[in-house]
Amino acid sequence: MKDKIFEVLQRIGRSFMLPIAILPVAGLLLGLGSSFTNETTIATYHLGKILGDGTVLHALLVIMNKVGSAVFDNLPLLFAVGVAIGMAKKEKEVSALSAVIAYFVMNIAISGMLEINGKILEDGSISKDVLSGTIASVCGINTLQMGVFGGIIVGLGVAALHNRFHKIQLPNALSFFAGSRFVPIISTIVYMFVGILMYFVWPVVQNGIYSLGGLVTGSGYFGTLIFGIVKRALIPFGLHHVFYMPFWQTAVGGTMEVAGQTIQGGQNIFFAQLADASHVTHFSADATRYFSGEFIFMIFGLPGAALAMYRTAKPEKKKQAGGLLFSAALTSMLTGITEPIEFSFLFVAPVLFVVQVILAGAAYMIAHILNIAVGLTFSGGFLDLFLFGILQGNDKTSWLRIIPVGIIYFFLYYFIFSFLIKKLNLKTPGREDDDQQVKLYTKADVNARKSQKADSDNEVEADPLSADITKGLGGKKNIDSVDCCATRLRCTVYNAQLVDDALLKSTGASGVIHKGNGVQVVYGPNVTVIKSNLEDYLETAPDIEYTKDSIDTVEEEETPQQEETEQKVTKTIVISSPITGVAADLSTAPDEAFAGRMMGDGAVVTPTDAIVKAPEDGEVVFVFDTKHAIGFMTDSGLSMLLHIGIDTVQLNGKGFEVFVENGQKVKKGDPMMKLDLEYLKEHAPSVTSPVLCTELEDNQKIRLLKDGEIKAGEDLFAVDFYE
Amino acid sequence: MKSFNYVITDEVGIHARPAGLLVKEAKKYESTVTIVKGDRRADARKLMMLMSLGVKCGEEITVEIEGADEEAAAAGIEKFFEETL
Repeated sequence: MKDKIFEVLQRIGRSFMLPIAILPVAGLLLGLGSSFTNETTIATYHLGKILGDGTVLHALLVIMNKVGSAVFDNLPLLFAVGVAIGMAKKEKEVSALSAVIAYFVMNIAISGMLEINGKILEDGSISKDVLSGTIASVCGINTLQMGVFGGIIVGLGVAALHNRFHKIQLPNALSFFAGSRFVPIISTIVYMFVGILMYFVWPVVQNGIYSLGGLVTGSGYFGTLIFGIVKRALIPFGLHHVFYMPFWQTAVGGTMEVAGQTIQGGQNIFFAQLADASHVTHFSADATRYFSGEFIFMIFGLPGAALAMYRTAKPEKKKQAGGLLFSAALTSMLTGITEPIEFSFLFVAPVLFVVQVILAGAAYMIAHILNIAVGLTFSGGFLDLFLFGILQGNDKTSWLRIIPVGIIYFFLYYFIFSFLIKKLNLKTPGREDDDQQVKLYTKADVNARKSQKADSDNEVEADPLSADITKGLGGKKNIDSVDCCATRLRCTVYNAQLVDDALLKSTGASGVIHKGNGVQVVYGPNVTVIKSNLEDYLETAPDIEYTKDSIDTVEEEETPQQEETEQKVTKTIVISSPITGVAADLSTAPDEAFAGRMMGDGAVVTPTDAIVKAPEDGEVVFVFDTKHAIGFMTDSGLSMLLHIGIDTVQLNGKGFEVFVENGQKVKKGDPMMKLDLEYLKEHAPSVTSPVLCTELEDNQKIRLLKDGEIKAGEDLFAVDFYE
Repeated sequence: MKSFNYVITDEVGIHARPAGLLVKEAKKYESTVTIVKGDRRADARKLMMLMSLGVKCGEEITVEIEGADEEAAAAGIEKFFEETL
């Protein structure tokens, strides 16, 4: 059980790698953009001419800032999708789509609850009695600020629903919605209720965090330590903003008189002192205690952790892990954005996160004790250190003290991380077990996997239906792609000659259609389930082509049959086309009942001419009331159905003009019906018309004589009578 | 001989597709299955005959089953009608 939880946590962690990979870039854009568009920065360094409002550089930086923000603002959504993809066992794309839907549904449900309960006013503004920072706009929806945690709830839940339901079978009438199509539906419904539930649950969490703030102020260095630990611990939940903003921006973080004005909040006090030209003494470390410590672990500590993870990565994966870790470390150092690096170990190795929280929390306290007072606009990267520490001078900020402490921190992180990773065999990036990897496979991995799985034949045999379908399609090696529409399995094969229609039909298919290298196998509405199973099967199936052996057997089977055909056909009746158009095999009929030969065997003709003629000498047995079909009995004794168009019964006779009546004798070529082709094309799903023999005995077989353009009266198919 | 009456609820009546299904069902049994509408009768194994009855939604038909397995056939076919037509 414990192992299982651990395994799941690891899978979650690995699924985070996908969205995390974008964070370093976004972090750099955001860090550069926000630092150099900050009005205080520009004013302080007199950069107005180069970077001021209206300059090209300014515009570019603003855009960079916005682009970076877009990623961070939508991080919850990225995590929802990323986790859903990572945790879904099959058909990950369906899971991803469902996660997007569920995420919006959950937030809009919360938003609805907020509105109904008066937390959001009618004009869309937020009620005054709401704790600031607890309601935020997410993708344009005013909802509870749940941060990345909200995304994870969605991702995990949707993946669970997906794994449970993506092969569900529904009653026939609803079977279109079965299988993977059911997942978005169930996700929508479930997450509506999750949203409603969150409205009640989440504020409790938020209030708890807010009240923690009271613990910090007025308790000196120890208070700073608690602040640091709580802030760092809240990062994965996205709740740190709720927690630290009051300290930075409100009286919770202290008040001070600067240049004759009472200033509230740590960050505000620092910038007031910075802006006050007459301020020549050291900046207040009591004010900066809420952020100055960040430089220590962001510039020095976490890169040490990254190095530890790189050094402990498996040799063959060092390059890959290195790319991720190096960029994550660089982001942390330069911009002070730590999510990329923290998330890379947070879920795969929670114990490392505990270490990070304690060390980082202590860093705030150490900076406070050492009277370090470096301000920041955004986070504790080198950009801010340069602007608000180095450029301000050591006299005012004591920034030089960050360096020795930082170096100690670097080694602390490096050694503690290295020790724990090796000792506990933690699966940090580059140390994953091969068969559970989320990241892109290298070719070697894939090959190793294949040979591994091919050995385990038991598994392969577990799904005989899929095994037969695979054989029928000429073996796994012959299959290029597998997809499905409402009723058919659509496959692309490399060699259409290898496809064995008979075998495919034995798997329950009602028809097999060939188009070049495309093969369509008609199964009916439950095809999505068949497709899922087939995909599962193909993943592990041996990569074999059913070539020589199987072809030989097929030929052996066919040859005697053909001899039989030649020897034993006692009679052949040729049926002519009743209409001018394009002839084709019956299995191409765009209707599964006809294509599946449920009504009889024959051919289809797609009319290009309006007159339907008698195909042979015979009798009109009946004309449907709705005029769209004629029952016909040839003088040679074959019962035929001429069914004009597909689903044309719905037209109630419109578009058809019939010249014959029940029981009337006709000669081949006599006009029987006139069609309004324009009307039919517009109102019926298809004008393709099945021409069938409805009453064939087992010893009567249809042989198509014409494939392509045909004139009324030309030979369409033959009925061979065997002995 | 077994027989039962049934009122068609399928909106297109015994048209091509349902008729095809009925033929398939009827062929499962040894017994002869006859559909009677008014004074016309059709062998349920003959698609043409079946469709020529032109049975529409709301019309009542009688199904007659005669043969060795008529018990099973009657039950099976009645179930088929309820589910499909």
